Amino acid sequence: MLFRRGLFAIGLGFLLLVGVVWGRPEQVQSVTILMPAPYADATASLVNRFNADNRGRIHLNVSRGPLETESISDLAISSLLLGSPPFDALLVDVTWLPKYVAAGWLEPLDPWFDTADEQGLVEGARLGNRVNGALYRWPLGADVGLLYWRTDLMADPPRTPDELTAVVGKLQQEGQAPQGFVWQARQYEGLSCDFVEMIQAFGGSWLNPVSGEPSLDSPAARQTATWMKGLISDGISPRAVTNYAESESLQAFKAGDAALMRNWPYAWAELQGDDSAVKGRIGVTTMVALPGQTPAATLGSWGLSMLRDTPHPSATAEAIRYLTSQDAQRERFLNQGYTPTAKALFQDPELVERSAVLPQLEQALDQAVPRPMSPLYAQMSDLLQRMLSAILTEDLDPDEGMAQAQASTLTLFRSAGGTA
Amino acid sequence: MKRRLALWICLLLVWSLLPMLWQLISSFSTAESLVNGSIPFLQRWTLVHYKELLASDPPFWRYLLNSAIVSALTTVITLALAIPAAYGLARVPLQLRRVLRWITVAAALFPYVLLFLALLELARRFSLGNSLIALAMPYSGLAMPLALLLLTSVFESLPRELEDAARLEGLGLWQRLRWVLVPLLAPATASTAILVFLFAWNEYPIALTWLSRDELLTLPVAMARIAGSSIYSIPYGAYAAATVLGSIPLLLLVLICQRQIVSGLTNGAIKG
Amino acid sequence: MNLLLLLPALLMIGLVFVWPMIRYGWLSFHANSVLTGLNPVPNGGANWIRLLDDQRFWQDALQTTRFAGVSVGLELLLALAIALLLDQRWRGRGVVRALALLPWALPTTMMALGWRWIFNTPYGPLERLNEFVGLGPLNLLSTPMWTWLVTVVADVWKTTPFIALLLLAGLQTIPKDLYSAFRLEGGRPIQALRCITLPLLMPYVLIALLFRGAQAFGVFDLIQVLTGGGPAGSTESVALYAYLNAMRFLDFGYSATAMLAGFLLLTSAMLILAMLLRLSGLMKPVQP
Repeated sequence: MLFRRGLFAIGLGFLLLVGVVWGRPEQVQSVTILMPAPYADATASLVNRFNADNRGRIHLNVSRGPLETESISDLAISSLLLGSPPFDALLVDVTWLPKYVAAGWLEPLDPWFDTADEQGLVEGARLGNRVNGALYRWPLGADVGLLYWRTDLMADPPRTPDELTAVVGKLQQEGQAPQGFVWQARQYEGLSCDFVEMIQAFGGSWLNPVSGEPSLDSPAARQTATWMKGLISDGISPRAVTNYAESESLQAFKAGDAALMRNWPYAWAELQGDDSAVKGRIGVTTMVALPGQTPAATLGSWGLSMLRDTPHPSATAEAIRYLTSQDAQRERFLNQGYTPTAKALFQDPELVERSAVLPQLEQALDQAVPRPMSPLYAQMSDLLQRMLSAILTEDLDPDEGMAQAQASTLTLFRSAGGTA
Repeated sequence: MKRRLALWICLLLVWSLLPMLWQLISSFSTAESLVNGSIPFLQRWTLVHYKELLASDPPFWRYLLNSAIVSALTTVITLALAIPAAYGLARVPLQLRRVLRWITVAAALFPYVLLFLALLELARRFSLGNSLIALAMPYSGLAMPLALLLLTSVFESLPRELEDAARLEGLGLWQRLRWVLVPLLAPATASTAILVFLFAWNEYPIALTWLSRDELLTLPVAMARIAGSSIYSIPYGAYAAATVLGSIPLLLLVLICQRQIVSGLTNGAIKG
Repeated sequence: MNLLLLLPALLMIGLVFVWPMIRYGWLSFHANSVLTGLNPVPNGGANWIRLLDDQRFWQDALQTTRFAGVSVGLELLLALAIALLLDQRWRGRGVVRALALLPWALPTTMMALGWRWIFNTPYGPLERLNEFVGLGPLNLLSTPMWTWLVTVVADVWKTTPFIALLLLAGLQTIPKDLYSAFRLEGGRPIQALRCITLPLLMPYVLIALLFRGAQAFGVFDLIQVLTGGGPAGSTESVALYAYLNAMRFLDFGYSATAMLAGFLLLTSAMLILAMLLRLSGLMKPVQP
């Protein structure tokens, strides 16, 4: 009896051993990353190379998500809410990060990326990746708001709000650029991005950097709103900008109808196309600011985040590192024009030859300012957009509108935060 | 007079069918010809959109299958609970019946999309997400008021004497239900079943929040996801093919069962 | 015993319809969002204060009401015409009735996808027609006014057959000799419509109005897929806003508040409507 049991135990042990020895090498760790389709396409060749290099060890799979920015978040959130999502990592927009972290869905990347890695990034790419001191996101590309100006119409770009109105007003009187200064004043996220740059120009900020409380009724904020309204009522910007998003602004500027445009780096390549009326006559700088204030460039950009539930954290981290490596950035820049994040690449002759705007981009990235890093950002932004839009298009007094925006934001914090 | 009537009938058909006809045409058109009107007529046609849909991962028929499973299950559960309940409802004292009747009507009127959050909480709490069988539970609950209304009115219209006679014969409650009442109820049950099936087949918000895995999506959610995931610039050929494939089962159902559907709706209107 | 038979079905209705309302009532007095780690924390009515001040909610409520009013109104008119048509005797009536019913039977999301193609700028058939007659592109899905009309058209297209059938059922309860008597008295057909058909049909119209009004107020599928609430929130409905609050903003407390408020608004609108109708003598006290 005892003998039989012993034999059984030995047999079982042998089977287990075989299982382990046999099973081990077969264990390919499968990593799935969800990205919007254009990014997925832009990384396809890298993914193939990664899989070839790691054959039998890691298999990386990039899931092509919806094109529209919000849809991809909706898709991810609905899986995360139900539990056991089919993804290991996610490409997230800079404004979503605090929300995902607060919901407890992300795993810090600190064990896999050290300070030396971070110091290799250009200033603007270092922002918007940390929440409460922990690293939750590694940037895939850099993106900031820029001020495009016409080198044929002015010798130097305006540096202060007053210079801006003066130079544009003069050009309009001469009939040079009827649309003057074009930006994004439609009621949507772009308006919030423009506001972040403009309020900094007047020395204010959306949230108080120390207390974290909204400061939309500060003197600087009210001054900003008044200036924005003035741009339209004085005709420096056409009334139509209140319905402009990025593409409409670009259209006007590309046709040669405007002297200045606020837009993102992608516009550069568009403006150098053969169908552009302003090809070769474009300069790039940052938004104007009052003397003594630092000009700001609103931070955009996507980055990769690891989900807490992933069964293969180190394999996922390896994939993230590979997709964001300098070689990968170089390839994405040369093939698709995505701005790199590594400091070294901005001086790289091969890259600069491709796009002469890189050095200016680096300067702008040094001025990058993230939008408020709050889990409630989406709602805050919606409140602000509504008020600004009402100020710009209706007869709402800027002071009154900003006071309302402030009050509504406070109510939002109380309602969602449970600190009544 | 005759001619005027024919004209109106044609107008009605055009109004109802033209959008679907356009989808049908688009689904067989090449992507090129959708955006370029100058392509010669004979070179416009292709089957590629259908091939793509059936070869995608998961293949399109999978969504139809998922929807069929959930809808069938919902219909069975709903009827199994609603038939005895309708019998009971038709036999309780008038006062109580009136109250219950109002509750049912109110529930049937309720725009049920407003319930999704509480139902999502249930799915999270009890891990019911991503299961087609579990999804049939809220569906049955949502379809219950309609089924009750339709069936109760029929039970009420059946002569009491019939059942009394059966009782005198010594048949118990279940036997009476099974052998006397249900057979008489067959037509009404059929039309109720079809309406419940249609409800479950078309339901969207609850499925949207209870299912997230690709291979489990029901048809409406899959359609919405196709719409939201426009990863091509002009994906409309594939969209159109999806709507055509998705409507075939319903077209058949409506053509075959139109009498039951009409009588179900009509009964609901008259008695409800 | 009879009650016992009723119990499972009533429990089901209770769980699915009544429990959520109780739960929302409770949730609406709690913060339950990312800030609280998705756990409920009492916030003393802050959700309701926020709701009263929330322009987006009230804009959506107005938009939803307008959408429901206009589409149900149009549907009733069209459905009456269709019902009168189907009430006459002609060959092939059954088939036409079935085909006309088809739009109602299709999943909303599916045709919403179809409409997106039909109203596409510049390649959809409608924009091509505009181009052809020289109206130029109207940007049907990026101009608030047109987009709103598109949603109304899509809703009317889908639900008119349903109302038409309800009204047809009503028409068929009207005894035909009423009409022959009226004709003998020298009344014209159009007068018959006003004096006989409409008054006798009124209960059915009211049922349709009530049922469709409530459903249209809860419009979600169509808007979410066809426009996503845009452009600039001009087609967003209350249900979609509540959905976004939960699924996009992860603010369950406020989402529950918005839904409960939507429900209360709808109920009071229904009650007022019923009262007005009763006062005007159109609706008699119903005998269930």
